[in-house]
Amino acid sequence: MRAGTIHRQTLIRTFKKSAMAYTFIAIPLLSSIIFLIIPMLVSFYWSLTDYNGLQPAKFIGFQNYNQLFTNDKYFLISLRNTTLLVLMGMSVGPTLGMITAILLNQKIRFQSLFRTAYYLPVMTSLVVVSTIWVMLYNQNGLFNTLLNGLGINSVGWLSNPKIALVSVAIASIWQGFGFETVVFLAALQSISRELYEAAMMDGANGIQQFFHITLPSLRPVIAFIYIYGIIGSYQIFDQVFVMTHGGPIFSTSTIVFFLYSKFQDLRLGYASAIAYVLFAILVVFSYIALKMEKD
Amino acid sequence: MRTKNVVFGILLILSVVLSACGGGTTANGTQPTVSQSDEKVTITVWDYYGEATPIKPLIEGFQKENPNITINYETPDWDTTLEKLNVVLTSGTPPDVVTVDMTWIPKFAALDAFADLNKLSGGKLNGVDWKDAYTEGALESITYQDKIVAALYDFDVYALYYRADLLEQKDLAVPTTWAELKDVSKKLVEGDKYKYQWLAETFHGSQWIYENGGDLLSPDNKTVTFNSPEAVEAIQFYADLMTDQSAIYWGLDQGERIQGIKDGRIAMFSDGPYNMGIMKSAAPEMAGQWRIALHPYSKEPGSYLGGTGLVIPAQSKKQEAAWKFIEYGMRVDNQIGVYTYAGAAPALTAAMQSPEVNGPDAYFGGQKVFDVFLEAMKTAKHFPYVRQWNDIDVIFTTAMEEISLGQATVKEALDEAAAKTTEALNN
Repeated sequence: MRAGTIHRQTLIRTFKKSAMAYTFIAIPLLSSIIFLIIPMLVSFYWSLTDYNGLQPAKFIGFQNYNQLFTNDKYFLISLRNTTLLVLMGMSVGPTLGMITAILLNQKIRFQSLFRTAYYLPVMTSLVVVSTIWVMLYNQNGLFNTLLNGLGINSVGWLSNPKIALVSVAIASIWQGFGFETVVFLAALQSISRELYEAAMMDGANGIQQFFHITLPSLRPVIAFIYIYGIIGSYQIFDQVFVMTHGGPIFSTSTIVFFLYSKFQDLRLGYASAIAYVLFAILVVFSYIALKMEKD
Repeated sequence: MRTKNVVFGILLILSVVLSACGGGTTANGTQPTVSQSDEKVTITVWDYYGEATPIKPLIEGFQKENPNITINYETPDWDTTLEKLNVVLTSGTPPDVVTVDMTWIPKFAALDAFADLNKLSGGKLNGVDWKDAYTEGALESITYQDKIVAALYDFDVYALYYRADLLEQKDLAVPTTWAELKDVSKKLVEGDKYKYQWLAETFHGSQWIYENGGDLLSPDNKTVTFNSPEAVEAIQFYADLMTDQSAIYWGLDQGERIQGIKDGRIAMFSDGPYNMGIMKSAAPEMAGQWRIALHPYSKEPGSYLGGTGLVIPAQSKKQEAAWKFIEYGMRVDNQIGVYTYAGAAPALTAAMQSPEVNGPDAYFGGQKVFDVFLEAMKTAKHFPYVRQWNDIDVIFTTAMEEISLGQATVKEALDEAAAKTTEALNN
């Protein structure tokens, strides 16, 4: 009896001590449950129905998922396009970011100006950036004018289905590599100068220093850039929406753009299924990211 | 942290879907509470016309006549109206009167999202039978399974815009048949200039098919007909204009059409009356150079029929007041405002024929341009009202793009599109 009272008192004391903490976590916890967990679960249920928002939903099992993977050529094209955009973005963006960061890490004039200039596109609205690129890609735009000046025929940057996806990728890389530059720059500045001085004493040249000091030191940052870049790139939408609307011939349609078009068509069950496929892809990459962070 | 943001992003998409699904009431099942005429009500009106709107000027006069009805006037633009409409309809909180693009009607009508105006109006629009107020095609465009789902407010049908000055210089007559169009367009071209604009989408593709006696779907909307011999022949003719260098393919990177009009790349194109306003404001220096004629045809004139409709969502609880507002806007004198304020074509036949609307137009060399659009309207038809229309539109547009880029022959592209459409219709 006495022991029980003491135990209860300890509990009350512990709770009193942590009351403030519980109050603080209650707000995000509740908002997570209301705005994330419940919508997620209900949305998963919708993905198993033919729900259109206006009429009662009919349960159809995994028919939407089955349709997506076996009978919806446009979805598979959108999935392929998104993966290609991720591959193009990830093969160029981080490398470009690293090179720029290394250059900006040198003692050069107008260093701050360059740093701001490279980061500016990241802070600019994607819609604005995309609109500017549409003008550049225009039949009479800057790129074609330059090509014509060199005696080369105009290129259908956005109207040729073989090129349009690359055009979207170029615009996305240009918009995004400033972020990678800034992250690499911060990482570069955290590498101890002593390591380079020691290497120089040992007679290592610039290239040797890069491969034996810079690159190994940047390894965790490189992993971070790639994983988060992949996750971000899978959600590409704005550029496609503004620049091509998924065309021509579905050559630039992406998963999120496709999802959006189904939502616009009030096929909410089907759109939910697409959202869950994307969710599954992102979960895989997020899991890899978490594993790598732990390692 | 970024992982969480990304996960949050995707969850947000899911939650948007969810919140849109939150209403749970069926469009059919809702029993609207009809407001009594002496009861004070506020109705919400969505107007997508923008600055040059003919709707806003209606409010003052309407409220004078109906002091018990207050208008809550909102102006989502054309782009966002569809998105917002999807959300409010699915969450059960729609406005009472909405301006809708008639190409949105198939989906919403098939889902019974709009109230039956025939019932609300007692069969008459401002005392005139619906069938007498509109042309046959216009009435058909607002009718879905014996219900009138919208009041057509302005209409859109396609006619041929052409550079009269160039035709005159080269002593060419205005083309009235396909053969003449082929001949004239060939003679007009000078290098990369003065071409017929080639667009790869359903609006223009369907026009050529209609003009050759074809159609997109069978009258019962169950069979695909856009790969019939007449349709294939029509699209082939259209495609040949490009092969002959008489037409310019207007892809995504050509920019706005008005640019092509101004710099001389385009000397002929097919479009609706709304385009007149664009030309007058963006290319005033070209006044007098352009005219409008019925688009040349092979067997019969043809065009899609669209425009703007005024609708009342089925879930609106103030349908009687909403109808009063629509009926007020559809009075002939108010319909004239569609032209005077927005430069668009009023849908009521009486308004179209009024001297205020159909007077000589100085920009088009004093031509009475609406005579042409009224003529085109006689044979124009709306796109099929089937739930799968958006899918069909995408499939057909994709086929047109394949043809324009030489990725498939006309027959191959249309056959493949027809197979996909048949599958969509059967789903």
